[in-house]
Amino acid sequence: MRVRSHILAALALLCAGAAQAQVRSVEVRAPRAFGYFLGDLVRAQADIVVDAGFALQAASLPQPGPMAYWLDLRDLRAEDLGLEKTAEGEARRVRLFLTYQNFYAALDARALEIPGFSVTFENASAHGSTTATAQVPAWQFNISPLREVVPPARENPADYMRPDGRVAAVDASPLWWRTGGFAALALLAFGALARDRAWGPFRARRARPFGAALARLRRLRRAPDAEAAYGEALLVLHRGLDATDGRRVLADDLPGFLARHPAYRPDAAALGDLLGASRLAFFGPGPTAARLALPWPALEALARRLAAAERAA
Amino acid sequence: MNETRPGDAMLTDWRQAAGRFEQAVSGAVVGQDRAIRLLTIAIFARGHVLLEGDVGVGKTTLLRAVARALGGAYERVEGTVDMMPTDLVYHTYLAEDGRPRVEPGPVLRRAEDLSIFFFNEINRARPQVHSLLLRLMAERSLTAFNREYHFPNLQVFADRNRVEREETFELPAAARDRFLMEIGLEAPRDVESRRALVFDPRFHDTDALIAGIAADVLDHAAIPGIGRAIQHGIGASPAIETYVVGLWEALVRPGRAGIRLSGIDMDALVQGGASPRGVAFLVRAAKVRAWLENRSFLVPEDIRAVFPEVMAHRVFLEPVYEMRRAAIMPELCRAVFDTVPAP
Repeated sequence: MRVRSHILAALALLCAGAAQAQVRSVEVRAPRAFGYFLGDLVRAQADIVVDAGFALQAASLPQPGPMAYWLDLRDLRAEDLGLEKTAEGEARRVRLFLTYQNFYAALDARALEIPGFSVTFENASAHGSTTATAQVPAWQFNISPLREVVPPARENPADYMRPDGRVAAVDASPLWWRTGGFAALALLAFGALARDRAWGPFRARRARPFGAALARLRRLRRAPDAEAAYGEALLVLHRGLDATDGRRVLADDLPGFLARHPAYRPDAAALGDLLGASRLAFFGPGPTAARLALPWPALEALARRLAAAERAA
Repeated sequence: MNETRPGDAMLTDWRQAAGRFEQAVSGAVVGQDRAIRLLTIAIFARGHVLLEGDVGVGKTTLLRAVARALGGAYERVEGTVDMMPTDLVYHTYLAEDGRPRVEPGPVLRRAEDLSIFFFNEINRARPQVHSLLLRLMAERSLTAFNREYHFPNLQVFADRNRVEREETFELPAAARDRFLMEIGLEAPRDVESRRALVFDPRFHDTDALIAGIAADVLDHAAIPGIGRAIQHGIGASPAIETYVVGLWEALVRPGRAGIRLSGIDMDALVQGGASPRGVAFLVRAAKVRAWLENRSFLVPEDIRAVFPEVMAHRVFLEPVYEMRRAAIMPELCRAVFDTVPAP
């Protein structure tokens, strides 16, 4: 019984020795072993040299995540650096890039240990596969506290805080200018829209053709050539009638015009005289006869009455 | 107001005669005052007239009444599909003695005395017949039997019904242009006239009705001379000349004159027509109207009164719009008068 257990132990040792031979070396390197604070990233490289036929089993690598209450594994990346020649024959070097983050709030400088882990390598061939385990050892680094443990007493707790940083005063005037500019543009655009839509002041006002005719008549009164001015005045009133009715008004159309625009009915007789005079002036004997039939003062008085009726309508 | 000229008294007498003529005709044809006025104008303007209208509205009655009141020799033919130009010029038959005879036909029978040639249903005649009418209407002359016949007093009245299209021939543009007026006739609208037309026995017997009109109210032989006197006697001022030319331009190029009709491409509406002869006719007819209205000068109203009848049928529309002519032309004429300034 005892002999048998010895044999088993020897066998196990032999197997272990064979495995050891397949993983040639494991080496952990960190940029520095001290000078870490709360929250710092701790980087390390682990170089593993194995026999040439072995390849890393990616599934055997530790998963990034919390490793202890004070330690997270943030990132792990494996890189195969290829075969290299050594005294014992060809070997493969695999480098692991490890990034930890330290959450230990230290009150004094002390060493912390990052635990080790194992990585599996596999040698697969047609006859079967052999695995070898490389043990990445635990290693230590030193962390330091952020501040002294017992700071001097302050009356105002706020004094423990650093004062707020000074912020440069920003000149707001360009913004105001830009705001004003865009407001003006918006106003202009609104004006254009209102004009397009005929809103508010742009609503088409009823034209006052007789008002305009009266104004022109007053200017014509001072014209040097009375005969031509008279003809012009008749034309002006004609255009006024046309514009009021939206069509050309001939002498025979007067009853229809008065029916459509009752505001001018009181001036029916005078309008008849006007159209009769225009007939004489333009189509009949000439302006002279027309001026006898309807002298200038009567013409102007009629224009005034028409303009007044137009305003009242 | 105007100084008395020797022609004036004559024109005044004739104006009264024209009034009597209109009265006589309107006694027999009720509710057609406008058509009668236009026919009177056509008579004194020495122009040919084409009456157009529905069946039974009195086209033929009106023309017969006018012919009776006007006096003078009167011939009438009915347009048919098998009518040939020669049928109008001569008439061949076998006489009682069994020998063939050739005698003058309807146009030549009354020779130079012919004053009214009445062509009923003109659109039933073939284009050959229309061609014969071209010269007869334009020059009032005809060559037949190796000599030339002249008809100084001739006036052609034609009528056409616009309902039927079968077995009819559209008048060629040249023939239409030779008609002074194309008058559309409609049944009277007012209730009184309609009631009279339907219930008054006087209107049922057309022959008796026509016979009741005083014959020879006007001396037809003197009318060409009076027509000339009217054309010389009625003055046209520069303003009215400008106005007529403006109307003409607006009618031919309505788009450029700023006329807009809904649903119509104004730049592609009028194809052509409105010939200088047409505009000259327009002024002739307008002068007669001015004379009938007892005026010695033309005014825009004269032009407007005769414009649709004289000008509308001379305008040729693009084929797309031709089918809607009856609706488009009155609208276009109205728009032209609403647009062109007068004076």
